[in-house]
Amino acid sequence: MKKTKLGVILMLYASIACASLAIVYAFTKDSIERQSEIQLQTSLKEIFPQASTFELVEDLTSPEPNIKFEAVYEVKSDAVPLGLAIKASGPSYGGNATLLVGIDLHRSIAGVRIVALNDTPGLGMNASNPTYYVDKVKKVTFLGQFEGKYIADPFEVKKDVEAITAATITSKSLAKIIKTAGETAIAYMDQKVMMASMEAEKPNGETSIVAPPTASTGFPIGSSEGKSKEKIPPQAGGK
Amino acid sequence: MDLGKILLLSMLVNNIVVMRFIALCSYIGMTSDLGQSMGMGYAVTFVTVLATAATWPIYHYILLPLDLAFLQILVFILVIASLVQLVEFYLKKNIPGLYAAMGIYLPLITTNCAICAVTFENITNNYNFIQSIVYAIGVSLGYLLAMILLAGIRDRMKTSPVPKFLQGTPILFMATSLIGIAFMGFAGLIK
Amino acid sequence: MKKLYSIFKQGIIFDNPLLMLMIGLCSAIAVTTNVSNGIGMGLAMTFVLLFSEIIISLFRKLIPSMIRIPIFIIVIAAFTTIVDLVMKAYFPDLSKSMGVFIPLIVVNCIIMGRVEAFASKQDLLSVIADALGMGLGYTWVLVGLAAIRELLGNGTFAGIQVMPASYEPILFFILPPGGFFVFSLFISLNIWLKKKMEAAARRKELVSKKEAA
Repeated sequence: MKKTKLGVILMLYASIACASLAIVYAFTKDSIERQSEIQLQTSLKEIFPQASTFELVEDLTSPEPNIKFEAVYEVKSDAVPLGLAIKASGPSYGGNATLLVGIDLHRSIAGVRIVALNDTPGLGMNASNPTYYVDKVKKVTFLGQFEGKYIADPFEVKKDVEAITAATITSKSLAKIIKTAGETAIAYMDQKVMMASMEAEKPNGETSIVAPPTASTGFPIGSSEGKSKEKIPPQAGGK
Repeated sequence: MDLGKILLLSMLVNNIVVMRFIALCSYIGMTSDLGQSMGMGYAVTFVTVLATAATWPIYHYILLPLDLAFLQILVFILVIASLVQLVEFYLKKNIPGLYAAMGIYLPLITTNCAICAVTFENITNNYNFIQSIVYAIGVSLGYLLAMILLAGIRDRMKTSPVPKFLQGTPILFMATSLIGIAFMGFAGLIK
Repeated sequence: MKKLYSIFKQGIIFDNPLLMLMIGLCSAIAVTTNVSNGIGMGLAMTFVLLFSEIIISLFRKLIPSMIRIPIFIIVIAAFTTIVDLVMKAYFPDLSKSMGVFIPLIVVNCIIMGRVEAFASKQDLLSVIADALGMGLGYTWVLVGLAAIRELLGNGTFAGIQVMPASYEPILFFILPPGGFFVFSLFISLNIWLKKKMEAAARRKELVSKKEAA
């Protein structure tokens, strides 16, 4: 008899605890879910400051089996395309890492932001640390070095990518994710341009999203930022 | 992530005690004797793997589908505590020799941060079941390794001249710091 | 009131949970790579400790001794979850950078230890004093550790650049071995402080005995 009484008391405490937690959860649930949305929107805006809309693109998958594209957005300023943003996740040091990679129309990286990184504090986590610089003189952060980088580059640590000190594995994994996202984005954009030019030749062609290709680049310069074609130095203090 | 990599990372490169500061209480408290350290290491390995085998399905097949993920901390810790109790009863009845050898460590394991950390990280790292088990084994073996190392060092330090301001626990942490620097060399194992 | 103050003081140096009692180390050193994390963890731990001690002290007559450990676990786990949820909702950056160490508060030996040794036997005001004292003792060590590690290892304090630009941060202090190193020196400092305070207390006793005689 005593044992069941103890069991009942225990169940009572457990139920009260669960009930209180359910209440707190109900209060915080929306806020928690919104946080990831807010973070995504903020990051998208940071990479493409002139953008006004982000349209979800379906059916764009990564060629690498390990790297998954969780979401792909076509970035536009009014109806003018600015580029693509891919939320890509791939293996990194402490599990999967999720990055938001922005690719602009110059076949270069518009910017990279961390969505999720589960690494060692002080080492791999420095990828998301805004005060950790891989280039201390020019104050370039690890992700900042990718801004303006051409996707045709090798993206290899020790060659054209500065690694985080004592976190080479993380640096390599993140560089790989960025490069895969970049290459897929370019292939997609080229494909869309080809399809658009084919459509433009049709008699009742719908308005194509992108302008017909120019001869030299194979992809229209629709961005109004007027970047020069040389490698753009990474912006100071960029994340 | 392939299994060999998980094992190496969790056991050596990311050693849970020396590189991640987890399970320090038992690390400092139980390494005064080598036999004790090994016993604790084995006990932790056993319970960690069992706990993983129990908590992983509970999270993925019960908590998640029912939108009860917020009960994760509560449920996991209760599962671990109950598991330890069950193991204790079972050993007491059926393998009294092992119970006598492991006896005192079992209740202590309930609050062992390593076990708790492993069960949580299996979820945050999105490991599947096999990966979780391998991770649990790797972490526990790393813990065992760290315990044995420190026990051996403490044994030697009994007859060494330790500077006055480092006597007692400070020298243990200094030793751990040096072990950690050595372990950082393992990072080169992973390509 | 004096009794409450002495309970409160106890946890700060004499029975400092991290430096003297050697409990609750797990979540401690790992989060001290920068000061914001240190403060965050200190506050989170103090919150869970305070409310767990309060609830258990209030209910201490209603907790059967046989099942007290599971009940303690339930209460502590509940408050840890509350801290975890609130941080995820309103302080997501801090929550992410502390990672697994927030859920680890539930197995923090400090909380379990104080609840078992103190809260289950003492009245409400005493446990509040105890929790605050222990929490403060915990937090000052964390902030101190973090300040040194972040300052020397990164040149910043809570993210604000403090060291001159020419300062080359010593990576060692941010790395785990550096954490152990600094912690070891902290313990040493605390032992020295404790000895000094004990000696001063003994001298006071001798003086008052002489005067009484």
